[in-house]
Amino acid sequence: MKRVISAALMTGAAAVLAATAVAQPAELTRTDAAEQQGVSCNSTLKIALVTPLTGGAGFLGNAQLSWAKYAVKTLQKNYGLKVRLITGDTPVEQGPAPAQALAQKYVADRSVVAVIGPATSGAVAATSRAYFQAGLAHISPSATRTSLTQGAAKEATPAFFRVVGGDYIQGPHDARFMVDKLKVTKVVIIDFQEPYSVGLADAAQAFLRSKNVTVQRESTSVRTTDFSSLVTRVPADANIVFFPTQQPEDAQTFAQQLLEQGKRAKVFGGDGANSPDKFKLAGSYVSNFAPDISSFAYNKALIAGWKRDNPRASLESFGPPTYGAVQVAMNAIQRACKAGNGRVKDRRDVVRNVKRIRVKNWILGGDFRFSTRTNDPLNARFYIFQIQSNGAYKLVG
Amino acid sequence: MLGSVRLDTFIQLTLNGLTLGSVYALIALGYTLVYGILKLLNFAHGDVFMVGSFIGFGALQALGGSATPKVPVWLLLVLIVLAAMVGCALLGVAIERFAYRPLRNAPRIAPLISALGVSFFLAYSVQLMFGSEQRDYDAFSISAGALFFNGFDIGNVRIPLLRIIIIVSAFVLMIALWLMVTRTRIGKAMRATSHDREAAAMMGIDVDRVIVFAFVLGSALAGAAGVMFALRAPTSATIGFIAGLKGFTAAVIGGIGSIPGAMAGGLILGFAEAYTQGYISTRWSDLLVFSLLILFMLFRPQGLFGSPELKKV
Repeated sequence: MKRVISAALMTGAAAVLAATAVAQPAELTRTDAAEQQGVSCNSTLKIALVTPLTGGAGFLGNAQLSWAKYAVKTLQKNYGLKVRLITGDTPVEQGPAPAQALAQKYVADRSVVAVIGPATSGAVAATSRAYFQAGLAHISPSATRTSLTQGAAKEATPAFFRVVGGDYIQGPHDARFMVDKLKVTKVVIIDFQEPYSVGLADAAQAFLRSKNVTVQRESTSVRTTDFSSLVTRVPADANIVFFPTQQPEDAQTFAQQLLEQGKRAKVFGGDGANSPDKFKLAGSYVSNFAPDISSFAYNKALIAGWKRDNPRASLESFGPPTYGAVQVAMNAIQRACKAGNGRVKDRRDVVRNVKRIRVKNWILGGDFRFSTRTNDPLNARFYIFQIQSNGAYKLVG
Repeated sequence: MLGSVRLDTFIQLTLNGLTLGSVYALIALGYTLVYGILKLLNFAHGDVFMVGSFIGFGALQALGGSATPKVPVWLLLVLIVLAAMVGCALLGVAIERFAYRPLRNAPRIAPLISALGVSFFLAYSVQLMFGSEQRDYDAFSISAGALFFNGFDIGNVRIPLLRIIIIVSAFVLMIALWLMVTRTRIGKAMRATSHDREAAAMMGIDVDRVIVFAFVLGSALAGAAGVMFALRAPTSATIGFIAGLKGFTAAVIGGIGSIPGAMAGGLILGFAEAYTQGYISTRWSDLLVFSLLILFMLFRPQGLFGSPELKKV
């Protein structure tokens, strides 16, 4: 039996090693701009969407895909471009390997002139360097980890942009709401041992501790689905459990298991838990980088058009920023085409133009432009919702 | 006061461990049944468990869903478990017929690789057919949360009805399996085949039928475990891998091939996980679980209830 089990373990290990080897990025070399042929703007240009289309966070990737498709379909004529959207799947459960493999592929394909995404902070952290070395702009509609734009050069590259605010806003904003509005004295913070969750948890923890709130920090794997024993660790007098997951069903399960064990604490999810279909336990809180976009009158036609293309989909918060990211990318490509007399001579020209983009009547409200200091949007903000007994998200902060 | 809090925590963690351990034990039994007879580690077993949770989800929707079931709650639960058990039993038969039987006389590594292939095939097929999203049974909506809030108390700890149902059902299934293996004709044939397949065949036992029956039983138990798991936590196409690893670990701890061993291994693993998460840290629990596997492999490879492999010299 020992021999059979050893053989089984070796087979498993070999499979894992083989998968890892395939996923390792090759050494990326900086290509001299002069050596490049460039791409004609009359040809079909490719924009790649890198997001989790499968796995636990598949819901957000599919919402992003529907908005990216709609943006390409409706905007390419406005910008005088022929664009084909290609997609790359990065299931969060598989760690950074799929994102790294995709980065190699897009870097090698000269007709890919911009990347929308990666959607998750972990995938950005793992690939931004490769995209930067290839001069490929990557504009995320949802990666919020602070260090992606404000950290050390290794992680925060000049080719990475995001169109939503980061955890440097979300963490303190959520924590301030807990202190000022909910008057918390004890908060349990749970991270899921991946970059998005740890970054947001750290940001909220720092603010809460600065306000003398007692914080109990917990950590669990992204694969955990039964939280019973973690719930047992939540003190009876805790007011809030801050739960920055990327899987809203987990927030729902955790909130139910808190009730099952008679705990009073309410669950407070980050933007990753924002899904009215999945996280719906009344009394819980959730924050997000996007307000209800239907509250802006100028979005009416846009939403109607998207709904025509996606009659069965509901208006979730992860999709609309993707429309904005595609809008920024196309705008930058158009400028690069103009500067290159009908050719994108070097993909770095797109990178250089992203920062200059201004958008009036931005899908998330107001006008859009990037900060002059970082590649974050200027005046970005976060919103806090409380879940009502009918499952509706009510804006409370 | 502090003492009562500590006791409450202990009772709650024991309850958590028992719930989790019951599910692990059911999965481990599938590994052990197949290994006992075929000496094959069926690495697709975790994915059969996953398929069971999806069949249960489908049956639940067909019966009106959690909030508005078309049948009484007890019947609803019985029917979804039965649907998963029958569906998984059929799946087990298909897996045996198409992935393992053609390799029965091949070197041992061949069916192992085939098992890994079946595992990926099942996971990705379910993902293609039903998408990547997690599926929530929403058991919380059944009778307005009655399964979570009704039950009885031990000290300050509520033992919810759903946990009672899961634990009792798991034990009933385990006892039924034990009785079937020890008291029936087919059980005797299974034990004979496990002891010496060739001799059993020479004595007139239809070995193929016995092997298929082992797959039917093991897969049906995995189906039941899938539903029990998914009544408390959302399921997805990817849960089979870790669940399968835990079931395999439980089977090794108990002594792979031993039915009481699989039961004990599952419970030990459940308790180990719950106490580690509750008393030490949640981040250590998987490390501890798989360290247990390594320790058993090093110091007691036959597990708690298994007997050492004897070699003819």
